[in-house]
Amino acid sequence: MFKVNLQLAQTPDESTRHLLPPHSDTTPFPSTYNGVNPSFGREMRALFNFGPDYVPLNHGAFGTYPRALLEYRMKLLRDWEERECLFSLHDYPRLLRDSCAAVAPLLGAAVDDVVLVPNATTGFDTILRNLTFAPGDVILYPATIFPACRNTILSLQETTPVRGHELPLTYPLSDAALLALVRTALTTLTASGHRVRAAVFDTIASRPGVRVPWERLVALCRAHSPATLSIIDAAHGLGHLDLSHVAAPSGPNPDFLVANCHKWLFTPRPAAVLYVPRRNHYLLTTALPTSHGYLPPATRAAIPAETYFQRLFAPAATADGTPYLTVPAALRFRALLCGGEERVRDYCAALARAGGDYVARRLGTEVMDNEEGTLREGVAFANVRMPIRVAPRGFGRAMIPLVHGDEGETTRGWWGRVAGEEYGTYFQTYFYGGAVWVRLSAQVYLERGDFVWAAEVLREMCERVRDGEWRGDGMGGY
Amino acid sequence: MDPSYRNLNHGSFGTIPAVIQSRLFAYQSQSEAKPDPFIYYEYPPLLDASRAALAAFLNVPVEAIVLVSNATTGVNTVLRNLEWTDDGLDEILVFDTIYGGCGRTVAYVVETSRGLVAERRIPLTYPMEDDDVVDAMREAIKASKKEGKRPRVAIFDVVSSVPGVCVPWVELSHACKEEGVLSLVDGAQGIGLVKLALDKADPDFFISNCHKWLNVPRGCAVLYVPVRNQGLIRSTMPTSHGFEPKAGSAGLNAPLPPGNKSKFVQAFEFFGSVDNGPYACVKDAIKWREEVLGGEDRILAYTHALAKEGGKRVATILGTKVMENKAGTLGQNSMVNVALPLAVVWGDGDKTEDDDLTPDTPRIPKDDVVAASTWIKRTLATEYQTFVMIYTYRNRWWARLSAQVYLDLDDFDFGGRTLQAICARVAAGEYKMGE
Repeated sequence: MFKVNLQLAQTPDESTRHLLPPHSDTTPFPSTYNGVNPSFGREMRALFNFGPDYVPLNHGAFGTYPRALLEYRMKLLRDWEERECLFSLHDYPRLLRDSCAAVAPLLGAAVDDVVLVPNATTGFDTILRNLTFAPGDVILYPATIFPACRNTILSLQETTPVRGHELPLTYPLSDAALLALVRTALTTLTASGHRVRAAVFDTIASRPGVRVPWERLVALCRAHSPATLSIIDAAHGLGHLDLSHVAAPSGPNPDFLVANCHKWLFTPRPAAVLYVPRRNHYLLTTALPTSHGYLPPATRAAIPAETYFQRLFAPAATADGTPYLTVPAALRFRALLCGGEERVRDYCAALARAGGDYVARRLGTEVMDNEEGTLREGVAFANVRMPIRVAPRGFGRAMIPLVHGDEGETTRGWWGRVAGEEYGTYFQTYFYGGAVWVRLSAQVYLERGDFVWAAEVLREMCERVRDGEWRGDGMGGY
Repeated sequence: MDPSYRNLNHGSFGTIPAVIQSRLFAYQSQSEAKPDPFIYYEYPPLLDASRAALAAFLNVPVEAIVLVSNATTGVNTVLRNLEWTDDGLDEILVFDTIYGGCGRTVAYVVETSRGLVAERRIPLTYPMEDDDVVDAMREAIKASKKEGKRPRVAIFDVVSSVPGVCVPWVELSHACKEEGVLSLVDGAQGIGLVKLALDKADPDFFISNCHKWLNVPRGCAVLYVPVRNQGLIRSTMPTSHGFEPKAGSAGLNAPLPPGNKSKFVQAFEFFGSVDNGPYACVKDAIKWREEVLGGEDRILAYTHALAKEGGKRVATILGTKVMENKAGTLGQNSMVNVALPLAVVWGDGDKTEDDDLTPDTPRIPKDDVVAASTWIKRTLATEYQTFVMIYTYRNRWWARLSAQVYLDLDDFDFGGRTLQAICARVAAGEYKMGE
């Protein structure tokens, strides 16, 4: 017998005891709360995990999930601990299949064409690092590409013959203008003897958080050069936009799509979908990381591409895959307690519009949009310009510049830290098009009052920026 | 853990004590109370504390320690970052006991390197003395150079998986250094399993799972890259915010506040959303082992002795043997490999038979190996409420049992009797009788 130091042996302490879910095989959460369906806003907020004094206005960055999902995931982890090998042998594969089956219809996809990966970045890397490139190959992408994805392309530039072609553009931009830019780029690249191997588009960009007419861009690429692979970064798309047409016969049918479940779909981190239509399965020879599923060329040629695709993404490389297993529970929460996907989408978009407009009025600025109003359509983001004058470097005190040039970027850390420490929130600010912006996220756990509150806090913080307070920040802006 | 379940296969997936599980839940709750402040401000100190705890544990500088989700990711990160020489003479040296997933990674790297790198596989025939293993590596390096090739990197375990035996990795690291070959140590089975003289070995890259033997929740491994080699690791896997292109600038976008940590360390702080809970638990697990279990020496003394004694008991019950060399170094860890009274027939005229096999030993044809393995795995779990790693090595079947602080000799006796029963049923052909 191994003797344990019982005096020092800690039983789960009181602060965490309540976190251990009860043993139960019943449904992880009731279909109503206190007998009624909670309304969006304050009531719905009680079903989440936020600290009492925190106002969560940045859902788009890391996402979050309801208490019911936290408990369900803990239950799965506990089951796994208790029945280790049985869980791995029976439960995990079954629940993983259930998750793929639950998420596939959200893309209008066949269940065999979706696999779960930790996050969109991994999915994106998996796609690009599987492609083989020849001299003259180009990957086309707008300047609003997610920075980690840009870095993957830059990394590939160093190790393969491919070149990235970044399309400079500045929002606000009409859809027509964006399409024209892409069309011109495709034409120019092809005319100069390049092969546009892939084109990368968001469904909703990150900075600024605006809607992209990605379906028309996919069609444009296909019309111009059918061999160009369209890669859609739907990190912000799933649970935010209606994507159920993606893989439908009359749908845009991109060549690849990645989407986070842990952002707008309410699952714990990490969980994301990698969608690969059957016609493209053969392009993926490895998962990321490479593990048991990989087969060398001669061996894999002997099995069907669809079989190899599923084999590649079967569980390997020990990790906590329980977030993958929570997709059905997340969808069930949204269906039973939120009234369904469409209701969630409509509420978030409407709140972002009303809330964003209000904040902009209070600040005397505007919410980013184009003339046609397509940037905000259906989007749960509001990108509000801060009333902070940004002058180019070199202008003297006579202009009372509040922020010099790229210093707009360095105030970002100040915004985040002060918002957290002093106001109990977090503002995602960014420097774009010569101004400082804040990207606010609407969600079912927020209501108009939260945006009213946000407006006052932002006003006050802008005063402090004007007073130059952020300059004395010893943390280099963070 | 369910009290009716006997876990004799800790080496495959690890397990965690209740108090660490509740710490994990606490971090997950803390994270969702204020998602952004947690990731930006509360989590980095937790990560640094875990890195510091590991650095102290391994007696190496904290600057060389980063965390990734598992050993496979760690090995992939290193191998995919190495740039092969244009003359196509580079070689990757591996033993034939390399872990399956790593072997596939090497195969993938070779496939996609457009002929720039090849694999050189070194066969081992256990039981072997440590010196013979090191000689085998030296011979391979010599042979490679003699053929005009360039042995670039050698991959070897601390404790191999199948069979689960100690590898003289410290001597191998030194040998590689003498020969100018990079050493990539797959210590997936390492931390908490054996004492690690990482500072003495000074390999070029070292990876170990924290979620196997260190009682850390699933999804955490340590990637050790001494500062001298950090320039070789250009990108995390996947590539993310911390990547710095050689030409031009990707722009400032580090999501976490910059500090005075190196670019290498910062890159690995955040490269795609993950569950930060396991990483934060590392320091808690190390502390728990120290305070409640009495420290690494005490734990290892118990588990090593249990594996040795338990293995002997199982071998007695089965009438077979334990895999061990003359110096007794293979079994100096918490796992033990016991031969089963079952053989494999790989082909006609197969002459390389194990000395201890008799004409009476039941023989399983090679085409039945997969079906038999699957049946054994399922039956052990569902009927006997246990699991033991079963594998074939050369001409016979073996069992790998893992000793743990929550086990004692009774569990090994149980393991032995269970294996005896299972082998009898396999010999009777029960695995052939369908679902």
